Amino acid sequence: MLDKILTEKFRRTLKIVFTDIKNQQDRRDEQEFAKDEVRIKERLLDSFTPYSPDIILENDYRIAAIDGSGTDSLMTLDDIRVHLLSTSSIVVDTNTQSENLFSPIDRETLETELGEQPHLDIHWHSGVRGDARSKLAGTLANIYPLKDIASLTLPFFKDFKPGEISSFSDLTDTEYEKFIPRLREMESLISREQHLTNPTVHDEIRKVSEYAAARNILTSDICPKYLLIDGALSVFMHFVRRYPSMPSGFMLRDLCALARQKDVILCAVSKNHTIPFAHRIAGMAREVFGDNAKWFCHLPSKEDPEGGLHIYEDRTYIPPMLAVPYLYSFSRDNRPSRIDFDRIWWLQNIFVPTDPKATRANEKALFSELEFMSRDARWYGYPVSLALAHVSCKLSHEDLRLAKDVCMDVRNEMGLDKRKAQDLRADYDL
Amino acid sequence: MKLDKDKLGELYGKVGVGNQTTLGIMGRNRDISVGEIFMIYSDRDGNERVFFFRVLGLENYLRQVDDMSRIAGTLMVEGDAYLSGIDRNMLLSLGGRMLGYAEKDEKGEWTFKSPRRLPDHLASVYRPVPGTSDEFVREMLACQTDGEVHIGDLQVGEKTLDVPVKIPIMYLPMHVGIFGSTGAGKSNLMMVLIKSIIDTNLDAIRNPNADKPRLSAFCIDPHDEFAKGVDKYGIQSIVKDMSSTTRTDVIGDYYYLTTHKSATTRDIRAYTREIRILYSEIQPRDLYSIREYTAEMSSFIDSQYHSAGENWIDSILNMAEDSIPGSISVQTLRAVKRRLSFLERSPIFIDSGTSILDDIFFAMETGRILVVNTSLMSDMEQFLLTTIVTRTLSDMRRALKSSGNLGDFVTQGQKRLPPGFFNRVKQKARAFYGKDGIADTSEVRDPRKLPVIQVTVEEAPTILNPVLMRGQSVFKDISRQGRKFNIGLLVVSQQVSVLDNVILSQMNTEINLRLGNEREIRACIENASVNINGFENEFRVMSRGEAIVTASYRELPLPVRIPLFDTVYEKDRHRYKDKKSKKDEKHIL
Repeated sequence: MLDKILTEKFRRTLKIVFTDIKNQQDRRDEQEFAKDEVRIKERLLDSFTPYSPDIILENDYRIAAIDGSGTDSLMTLDDIRVHLLSTSSIVVDTNTQSENLFSPIDRETLETELGEQPHLDIHWHSGVRGDARSKLAGTLANIYPLKDIASLTLPFFKDFKPGEISSFSDLTDTEYEKFIPRLREMESLISREQHLTNPTVHDEIRKVSEYAAARNILTSDICPKYLLIDGALSVFMHFVRRYPSMPSGFMLRDLCALARQKDVILCAVSKNHTIPFAHRIAGMAREVFGDNAKWFCHLPSKEDPEGGLHIYEDRTYIPPMLAVPYLYSFSRDNRPSRIDFDRIWWLQNIFVPTDPKATRANEKALFSELEFMSRDARWYGYPVSLALAHVSCKLSHEDLRLAKDVCMDVRNEMGLDKRKAQDLRADYDL
Repeated sequence: MKLDKDKLGELYGKVGVGNQTTLGIMGRNRDISVGEIFMIYSDRDGNERVFFFRVLGLENYLRQVDDMSRIAGTLMVEGDAYLSGIDRNMLLSLGGRMLGYAEKDEKGEWTFKSPRRLPDHLASVYRPVPGTSDEFVREMLACQTDGEVHIGDLQVGEKTLDVPVKIPIMYLPMHVGIFGSTGAGKSNLMMVLIKSIIDTNLDAIRNPNADKPRLSAFCIDPHDEFAKGVDKYGIQSIVKDMSSTTRTDVIGDYYYLTTHKSATTRDIRAYTREIRILYSEIQPRDLYSIREYTAEMSSFIDSQYHSAGENWIDSILNMAEDSIPGSISVQTLRAVKRRLSFLERSPIFIDSGTSILDDIFFAMETGRILVVNTSLMSDMEQFLLTTIVTRTLSDMRRALKSSGNLGDFVTQGQKRLPPGFFNRVKQKARAFYGKDGIADTSEVRDPRKLPVIQVTVEEAPTILNPVLMRGQSVFKDISRQGRKFNIGLLVVSQQVSVLDNVILSQMNTEINLRLGNEREIRACIENASVNINGFENEFRVMSRGEAIVTASYRELPLPVRIPLFDTVYEKDRHRYKDKKSKKDEKHIL
């Protein structure tokens, strides 16, 4: 392959592709960005004063974080795939008073509250027998702690139709009436049945495992001030039915509602932000605030004053429905990341109608806290609790290799027929 | 039976990687130093073993961090950065040598084996704790540390355990080397050794029925510090503490030999003899052992010794140039005279008078120590004295070894030793060597049942170098055959690299102190009786008084802290009082 990659021909092909991107995508974005530039620079982008390193907070608080990892091919048994999922919850304490900044709470306390950490889940389904939906529903129902499906779906409708729907019975006489039977079973909440490929199933279970861990934190006595999850607060909708196309969408809104109720700030941090022209926003921030500045930039939605930005006008999930995203950077060495907040919480706690200055002050206070929790030298600029959760849940190649060995051992113990656990391609040394 | 692991010390870490030679251990972030010894408990396949591991290198290890430099850089550049909960992830990665392992044999006794096995997967590593681990370590390592002559305590890093390290008397005739640069603690070690020899003899005297061996030592003291001591106490302090009976038994009438008795302090003078050696007691090979002679010179000397006998030195010194034998050139005579001229200038080598050699012989055959102050002697005088004493003692025992009864011994002695000396000492020698009386028919004793004699060779490279050892050196024979006669050399040197291979290969115990340079470290490692490859770093960081003791009869290279003489003396001084002697009570009128 190298003899192809290292040729002038390959370089020419790449040049054509990049020129194409520049001509089509960048030019369009550039035009759109020009329309937003002044607004971003003057009203959406801002810096803040970071906490002094030796600050002693009047009230130290806890920050929880969840991350998950997994494989959709722990074992392949003909048409059956066995999935392995690992989910880890980490809780750190600001601990400014004992000068032991952001130290994780001890494992024993954590496991007493949340069970074994990291937590492992197993799932299986056949790709061809049409059991994907029922098996997925079974696994999700098993994993997610809230078992009453009506209670699970209601928070979405309450947030999506505020003032209109406040109980399940309110769904009657609405556009959702005809879907009520579908909203009573986990299986029927899975509307993307036709697209239940292995990766989709895996992603859904992984997301739900993380949401389940988050819910356990919210219902425990840990009482964090922040609860961080990896990714975005996106709810993918069924365009016809106008409610989440997968159970995880309902679960996310359930979490948001519970977090608000428990006075916990729920946010999702995403390194892969998918925000167009983010590098230009970052450049603008450097230009305005200097190279060393720590900054954030609100990415408004259509409902916000002045409406959404032109650069993501045609991006369906930017900003995500019922969420408020920000682009931010706490480290000059890294590219900007994105953080999403629950829009309902944001409207209640950050946004001050008719007072942009008060809104900005709230935003600055929020990002000062987020930045303070993102100074660990190992992952400078990224929230330490989330980084620790990532390290804790990560399934390395070696872990997976051992897990596969254990699979074969267990099958031997059970007297089942011997099967190889490696990928099928390994048989051919591919 | 399962071992009580708490007795091993503090649980420190886990075995990570390695093989039967080197191991990598991941342990807690503690203040560990190079040289520390750890114990690894292993129960592989139901076989309980305690492996001993010695730290030769340390590295900080941050769990979950692949790039320490990047973290350090971030902490430096981002002044507000912290490391969350890092304490539990801060580990130390230890690399080092597997020293061997202890296990119980069928009789339930601890044995020690060279590293030929590996500890179990992720075996627990224990750090010895003084006060907790001492007894257990002492028990496990008994076969590696036991003996009679105490040299120090087992060192585990910068601390020591109460595990005395001793050299068995039976291995002393196989020669001992003490190697260390200036200031490494050789003099203190010599004083500790002398004290230990005194203690051993005292023990033998106090337990006559235990049939314990006695030990004699001819100790060269080049700086005249053993008797008086370096700081507060010296060997004289021990002598002073003894009751007269004990003193007579252990020390005798004298222990201090010097060139000028009148220059000695009053308290020591009572136990002093002046060193005087008669020309007649010097043999040509004594001279060949300390200086190079051409073939012509040695041929001339040998012919004069053959013709003039005991008077060969006088004969040469007084020989007129016109009366030399035909085959000898005037130049050869002049050269030999020049080489012998130091005898004429020397106060200790005399033509006539009373020799000290008799007293030295008596002392050495009765299990005593002699401290020989050579501070006022020239190098040649010192070397010649050591050579004459070594040769005389070995010739006496060689004569004994070659005899069936005392009659034979006398015949053999007369052949081998200068007649004047032999005639003076033969009566006493009969008493020492006769198994059942002094009659000619009396069977002789086995030299190995006689006191072990340890002769110090100071500044050893001058006489134990390859050039002199190639010739007719007295030390060549002793190094090879000393064990037959129970005579061993205590070779003291700042350098290992320049010593002759014969002596190095015959040396079975090495006490390696701090060394001066890389070449000596390398030579020391190469010549050690057990494999101590990889100990280079440790030699580089050794402090005064620290030693690595290697012995061919032990599998374990032992790190030893040699205590200060004053400390051990103060600890033991009560032992020198006669147990039966009571303090005189004051009469109150």
